[in-house]
Amino acid sequence: MIAVTDTAVTQTTGPHATLPPTTRPLAVSARGVTRSFGGREVLRGLDLDLGPGEFVALLGRSGSGKSTFLRALAGLDDGFDGVIEVPVQRSVVFQDARLLPWATVLDNVVLGLPALEARLAGLAALAEVGLEDHARDWPKTLSGGEAQRVALARALVRSPDLLLLDEPFGALDALTRIRMHVLVQRLWNRHQPAVLLVTHDVDEALLLADRVLVLTDGSISLDVAVDAGRPRRVGDPRLVDLRSQLLSELGVEENAEGRSSAEIPNPQPPNEPLTHEEGAIHP
Amino acid sequence: MTDLDVSGTTFGVIVGSEPAPWAGPDEAPLESRSNGTDPATAVIAGPTRVAPPLVTPPLMTPPLMTLPNRATSRTRSRRLPRSVERLAGVAALFLAWELASRAGWISPDILAGPSTVLTAGADLIRSGVLIESLWASLQRVLWGMAIGIPLGALLALASGLSRIGDNLVDANVQMLRFVPIIALQPLLVVWLGVGETVKVSLIVLGVAFPIYVNTSSAMKSLDPRYLELAEVVGLNRFQLIRRVVLPGSLAGFLVGLRLATAIAWLLLVFAEQINATSGIGYLMTRAQLFFQTDLIVVGLITYAALGLLSDGLVRTLERVLLRWQPGR
Repeated sequence: MIAVTDTAVTQTTGPHATLPPTTRPLAVSARGVTRSFGGREVLRGLDLDLGPGEFVALLGRSGSGKSTFLRALAGLDDGFDGVIEVPVQRSVVFQDARLLPWATVLDNVVLGLPALEARLAGLAALAEVGLEDHARDWPKTLSGGEAQRVALARALVRSPDLLLLDEPFGALDALTRIRMHVLVQRLWNRHQPAVLLVTHDVDEALLLADRVLVLTDGSISLDVAVDAGRPRRVGDPRLVDLRSQLLSELGVEENAEGRSSAEIPNPQPPNEPLTHEEGAIHP
Repeated sequence: MTDLDVSGTTFGVIVGSEPAPWAGPDEAPLESRSNGTDPATAVIAGPTRVAPPLVTPPLMTPPLMTLPNRATSRTRSRRLPRSVERLAGVAALFLAWELASRAGWISPDILAGPSTVLTAGADLIRSGVLIESLWASLQRVLWGMAIGIPLGALLALASGLSRIGDNLVDANVQMLRFVPIIALQPLLVVWLGVGETVKVSLIVLGVAFPIYVNTSSAMKSLDPRYLELAEVVGLNRFQLIRRVVLPGSLAGFLVGLRLATAIAWLLLVFAEQINATSGIGYLMTRAQLFFQTDLIVVGLITYAALGLLSDGLVRTLERVLLRWQPGR
């Protein structure tokens, strides 16, 4: 395990050796994380614990600092104050698939891994996301969804203890996104990494996560467990109240009846005056 | 064949999806958003605050027009391929030139006609002089490139990969590259005499600069997102260079290579016009003494052919090495 502090990076042997021995095992421990850019504090004393195998969604409005926090966890930014402890084995999936265009799909998956057995593992990972037939193809031949699946395979082949997903479905079309949700749940079930999913999509968070956090003004303003079992569906009645709570925490007012747009299937009859419903617009 | 009618007031939605070969039978039920209002198809609805009623204008049926299709399109009408049309233009010029020479409007001392040039060229090939000269010229260019390309590439690597290298190399190269290479000839003659070394050195310098400039600028403009990725997957320095930096700057290197080949031939012509005893340029300079314009034109055509050929080689190289690029 690596303990990353604001002053030094220390290698310790036991898991989270700097924590008191009585605490439960953790996949992420962040204490008082503060990050500012040019005098503006984006993160303000953020505290967060993630258990091993826990699927946590981090919601926040744009500019709320959720990606900043993820980048710090990924080790891409060391300009923060506070203490962050993370597992050594961690993977990141970005919003863009970020495949090297000059490397084949398989070479992208096994990028940086030692040669031979990695290729077999890479092929297995590609098979898991249904792309083993594309192993020798160039990334330019893939659709957006396929590229993002390759990025998932690249993350999983490293057997991460912590999987960081930075709005990984944000650039995908709605139908592909639904399939990716199913795929991510299946992969998470099979490999059981701790997952931190950064997203601005409340429905996506409710669908996938055990626990949903809302980041407001640089610290966690809401931390709720999602009790509904799996598989879930978006309009799940058990999640309606939670959905409203999250939306209002994010500053989106729902309509007076508390109905979500998903419950009103009747199309407008022609030549009716147009109506407008706040909060019904899907993110 | 797809049929579709949309009447005046309908809001039509076409829903499509990529096939999912990976959605096997062991798939968890795809019910995440299947409660009748998929976000892609849902009509945003739900009257809560009713806007002031609008005055609805009477329905009008817009007049329809038929768009041109493959059978009726005018722009797709049958024509000769573009390349054939262009060649026709070149052929017309040569025909006019030949006719003018035959008619005596252009004296052979000014410019020999195409047929005279062809005969002269055939004679030179038969006597072996052309091949001999070609080989002498080609050798100079090959040596120049064989030294100049690695030189430029290594300097680019040195400046791209370390701060010290950048300070030592880049500032100096950027200053020197504004010295016209041709103007270095007197200095090079003083240093190296008038033999082959001077000619090759000129070409080396001419090749190294464009290779350096384009490769190093490609290296410096490498997408930082890839460097971030390299950090996330934990590439070491060697892997970073081999997997990211080198392939990422290959396109820039090849642009440099194309410029370098063009410059190499240019400098060859210049070097061979001055104190050469072999090569195409020597052939032309000697012909100049005897007003043999046909031989001069043969030399010109040979240079052009060589330039065209080497440019084609580099293009082929680009096609093979950059086949991963989108749009190729």
